Amino acid sequence: MNPNDSDASRFKSATTDRRGERDLDLLLVHVARGDTEAFEAVYDRLVGPVYGVIRRVLRDPSQSEEVAQEVLLEVWRTAARFDPAVGGAATWVMTIAHRRAIDRIRSTTAAAGREHKTAEIHTPHDEVAEAVEASLDRERVRRCLDGLTDVQRQAITLAYYGGHSYRQVSDLLKVTLGAIKTRIRDGLIRMRDCLGVS
Amino acid sequence: MRFLRHDLHSLSGAYALDALEPGAEQDRFVRHLSRCQSCASEVRGFREVATAMAFAAAAEPPAELRGRVLAAAARTRQVPPEVITHARPRRSRARVPWVPWLSGVVATASIVVAVLFGFAQAHTKDELNQVKAENQAISLLLSAPQAKLLTHEVTNGGVATVVLAADRHELAVVTTGLPALPSGKVYQLWLIGKPKIVSAGLLPPAKDGRTPAVLATGVVKGDTLGLTVEPAGGSAQPTTTPILALPLPV
Repeated sequence: MNPNDSDASRFKSATTDRRGERDLDLLLVHVARGDTEAFEAVYDRLVGPVYGVIRRVLRDPSQSEEVAQEVLLEVWRTAARFDPAVGGAATWVMTIAHRRAIDRIRSTTAAAGREHKTAEIHTPHDEVAEAVEASLDRERVRRCLDGLTDVQRQAITLAYYGGHSYRQVSDLLKVTLGAIKTRIRDGLIRMRDCLGVS
Repeated sequence: MRFLRHDLHSLSGAYALDALEPGAEQDRFVRHLSRCQSCASEVRGFREVATAMAFAAAAEPPAELRGRVLAAAARTRQVPPEVITHARPRRSRARVPWVPWLSGVVATASIVVAVLFGFAQAHTKDELNQVKAENQAISLLLSAPQAKLLTHEVTNGGVATVVLAADRHELAVVTTGLPALPSGKVYQLWLIGKPKIVSAGLLPPAKDGRTPAVLATGVVKGDTLGLTVEPAGGSAQPTTTPILALPLPV
């Protein structure tokens, strides 16, 4: 296929729109029909968060890269299964990414990594502050995490960024299982409202 | 262990963060989710929160990753749309040929026949699975409430019949009476958009003057359905004048 200028600028405008979910949705529709330029645009827009979240969970850069490649290839392969009625394209891709990272942890269950992570409990803010690039997303998320109670924030960060199951989170935080699932849910409800998610 | 309904509800957060361990509890919640609409919409909202958290964690990947992913994509076949998951529960596939919005029962029948014809033509298991998947996709397309039926004459003979489901970005095409082509030539469908033209696939060989249904996905606003004669194997972009140019009311 022959890329030309108008194509490039068309996809560029779709990618520069910060949370241009609908543009991204449309790009994925094009990807589903084998459009490689659209796939490149999707890659450029989403590889940062895909790689970033996987790396946050797995820590190991080379494993993270491997899993990120699997995830992006899965996006290419299964783009036809993306259903805009269920949620936005970014959410679809990030769900795949996080799940794959968790699968990797569970399949390797490296005990050493687990030990290491208990240290994070006291510094959940650093989890966010670590992000390589300053962005509006990061600011918004940080602000919203700040609005949570300590247990809510720790539980959500340990589960999402740390890749721990809620059972493990309950062990780490010495809080009962029942309380942990409630804290996670309450925390997410607050986050949802704070982020202005519908 | 028995869970109270409330307990099950409260797992929505852990589930959305992939923090349920595989096993009975997760299975129970997934089952519950399929029946509980408010839980499903809660999970959707939480997933958006998780997405924001992923964006907040964005990191620069190694530069080589891009080339590797694009190269891998170039040699990876894409899957056809999955149709079972969002089948409308109140519309059974068996009713498809009788859906009332169809004005041209004959045209619909020709698509259904064409689909069945696809089965007859499949030789290997892979081919059969492919045909089955396409058949399901086409059945679903036929049952889409907003599907439109379009027919158009082809310049040098024959008729193209199109079922267009704009909300699903999909269409199915069958043709009748197209002139047979010399060997080394094929009919190729195109989605002709303002900035670019994308192949929508080759027409399979006709049997009794009729080509099996071809399903095209990714139809967007402003697309025109085109048909050209191309060298065997198809072209990346059309090389001859279209013998059909049907604007699609998307």
